[in-house]
Amino acid sequence: MSSRTSQSPDLSVADKLDNEIAILRSQVGSLKRELKLQATTLLTADSTREIIRQGPDDDSKARIMAQSDQQIAHKQQCLYRACASVTALKIRDPDPNAVDEGNVLGLRFEVMSKSRFIRPYYVMLNRPYPDSRRLRIHRHTVPPSIPLAGLAARHLPAPRSGNDDHNAPQEQDLSRFARALRRELVRYQNRVGVIGDLRNSAGLESKKGKRKEVEFPIVDISAADAEIKQIRIQWADEKTGRLVMDDDGHILKMVVQGENGRDRETVRDLLGGSVRIEELTKRMSGD
Amino acid sequence: MARLSVPTTARLPSSLRVDASTSAVTKVLNRLSRASLLSLVVDWLGESNQTLCPPLLRRDKEDDDDVDEFYPLAQSLEELRELYADMQAAKGSKREVVDRIVEGDWRMGLSLYQLAMADMRYLYDHPGSLKWIAYRIQQLKSPLNEAEADGAEKPDKETLAIPRFHPSTFLQNLQAEVLPDVKAHYNFDRPEGMPLWLLRIFILDSPYNTTLAVSNRTGDRATTSFDASRTLYIAFPDASPHIYISKSQSTGPAAPGESRSLHSLIVDGIPKALSRPRERYTLNKTNLSTKNLSGLLHIRGAGRTNAAGGGWGIYSELKPTDSPLNPILPTPPLSEDSSSEPMIDNRPVSRTHKRALGPEESRRERAIKRAKMAAQARFGSSAKVDDRKGMERLDIMIEDPFPNTPGVSAPQNEAEAGEAEELERSQSSKSKGRRSGLELEFEQVRDLAEIAGEGSREGTWKPNVRLTFQGSHVFAGIRQLVEAGVINGGRMPGWMTGEEGVSIGAVRDGRIRGHKGSGL
Repeated sequence: MSSRTSQSPDLSVADKLDNEIAILRSQVGSLKRELKLQATTLLTADSTREIIRQGPDDDSKARIMAQSDQQIAHKQQCLYRACASVTALKIRDPDPNAVDEGNVLGLRFEVMSKSRFIRPYYVMLNRPYPDSRRLRIHRHTVPPSIPLAGLAARHLPAPRSGNDDHNAPQEQDLSRFARALRRELVRYQNRVGVIGDLRNSAGLESKKGKRKEVEFPIVDISAADAEIKQIRIQWADEKTGRLVMDDDGHILKMVVQGENGRDRETVRDLLGGSVRIEELTKRMSGD
Repeated sequence: MARLSVPTTARLPSSLRVDASTSAVTKVLNRLSRASLLSLVVDWLGESNQTLCPPLLRRDKEDDDDVDEFYPLAQSLEELRELYADMQAAKGSKREVVDRIVEGDWRMGLSLYQLAMADMRYLYDHPGSLKWIAYRIQQLKSPLNEAEADGAEKPDKETLAIPRFHPSTFLQNLQAEVLPDVKAHYNFDRPEGMPLWLLRIFILDSPYNTTLAVSNRTGDRATTSFDASRTLYIAFPDASPHIYISKSQSTGPAAPGESRSLHSLIVDGIPKALSRPRERYTLNKTNLSTKNLSGLLHIRGAGRTNAAGGGWGIYSELKPTDSPLNPILPTPPLSEDSSSEPMIDNRPVSRTHKRALGPEESRRERAIKRAKMAAQARFGSSAKVDDRKGMERLDIMIEDPFPNTPGVSAPQNEAEAGEAEELERSQSSKSKGRRSGLELEFEQVRDLAEIAGEGSREGTWKPNVRLTFQGSHVFAGIRQLVEAGVINGGRMPGWMTGEEGVSIGAVRDGRIRGHKGSGL
């Protein structure tokens, strides 16, 4: 800050004031958040509710009680979301021509990554079929790297039309679908996380000299395909490697291509008998 | 240069030089602006590009035979680099640069690689110059027995595999699919700021892959085969089972049928090149074509936004407050407490302002706010004018029967005036799917209207209605109309919000038909 003022001594008064206003605004924002947080905690506390209940009957009491009830409901929802990881919610389709009067069943998938909840994935289902209560996926926020269509075809089949009845229509199984999809989502998120871990342990993320002193350090680690089952590793001496893992992070294969063909030695050096990808991360970070 | 030109199936090499005086070459160069042309030349002179686009340099210092020519050759790369850097700093005409390239430093011809770079540069300078069609890559069921193998190919709906794309393998396989009498030059590039690979395919009608393919000495025809070349772009978005293919452009006059067949040849070859043994793919149209690549990436790319368009977008947005560990109640959008609105100083002003207004004014203000809320509910945070994800055309065909008010018989035999009246009445009543409110469209409708008797239900009248929305950002325009209260946000059909993610569709029962609604 001081260096900046010394660089531009003639920083105009207006600029200074603007800076000050911006700082004050952010302070106001954080204080407001703090206030809200304290208020919610107070509102949902049992003792507070008891005090309010004993207080005189008037308009404000009803209002505060209503808000408190709302808050408690929200708290319970959060508890379910945090613990159950797949929760259902009711959504109304805003389209006036929506099927089934706009009733939509939403499934919310909570996934954790780097020890925090990331934005949940949603799958919205509706009932578009006439004379059938079967569900179909209407909207979703699942990335295309997850085989949602295949899972839906397996667990939520559409009712068969009259002409092909060579095998009996399968039953829809929503809970199996949700479980299978959650599994895919968590595994995908874990694979994404592993790439970050690998980059960290190779010293690619931090700018400082955490990097190990090797002759040819690794210069890049990135995902090579949509499902993040293949990892591309690049060394400073133009060697490139490909590591293939399965759904659960077991290392299946690894090939390194050097200047003169395959470089099995680097593979042995890098893997050193690791079976899972996490073991490789540990090895690379220096044991 | 090879002495013999034998027809082969190999691809055209990047180092193949095209005569600089060909009209197609000057055309490609002249399309670029002076600034981008000069930065392109500087790229050509870069160290890594010297194998593919070396300039002509004077070899002999004593050899001063042609000093008096207009563009004397430079002696070293450094000299040339400086020369072009000076040109970048100075002002001048584009003509001067093009002449210098064509008649001076690259008088021996420009390599195909250089032409590809120039074309790519033009594409980056003018991102809206191509129309892209989005295709979905879908796996086919591998046949279990002989009979199935002979039958029609069926998509494998239950597959859990996600197609994978590897640029060099893909190219190798694609080359094997292209017929031997067509030669193509391929160039991969990664545009800045967009998560996709761009493949430029330059197609020539020639069996040779040497200079014979691009020279005009092949016969005494007026046009060389080079002039009848075609360029095709394919974009491969990262981590998305989609492909965007551009409409092909030809540099010269070519028979339309021929160019289409070449195009379809390539398009047919793409799924085969993506396929592997026991894993076959096909391309499916997704009813979406637009000129805006970043818009395409939004609804056919990686990430969460593919099947959550329009108002559903609120479920795919990144909001830090939506964690289950956050105990604060979510605030409704556009309310005074919604934190995202940085209007702290505006608020008290507007409040005092409102108090001073008369009842008429305040009602209008409320109506505007209601319209804004409706727009927010239907569009979410999508379809903003400045989001640069605009679709420039939306074609809708309405297949719904004409909405009858009960008690009124089908208006088959009524006069046009009657129809117009009916239209107005239906607008005010609870009609379906045609609440666009644009008189113009209705006039067109009246022109197009014909009595469709076939395939319709008893006593219904199905006019042939097609709606075309055109503009720089169609859905942002509709959103603005909703915000202005021209369109009733609550009763507007869903396809007008762009949540279906298509650019052409048929509407039945007020919904886009055939589209599976979810990108599935």
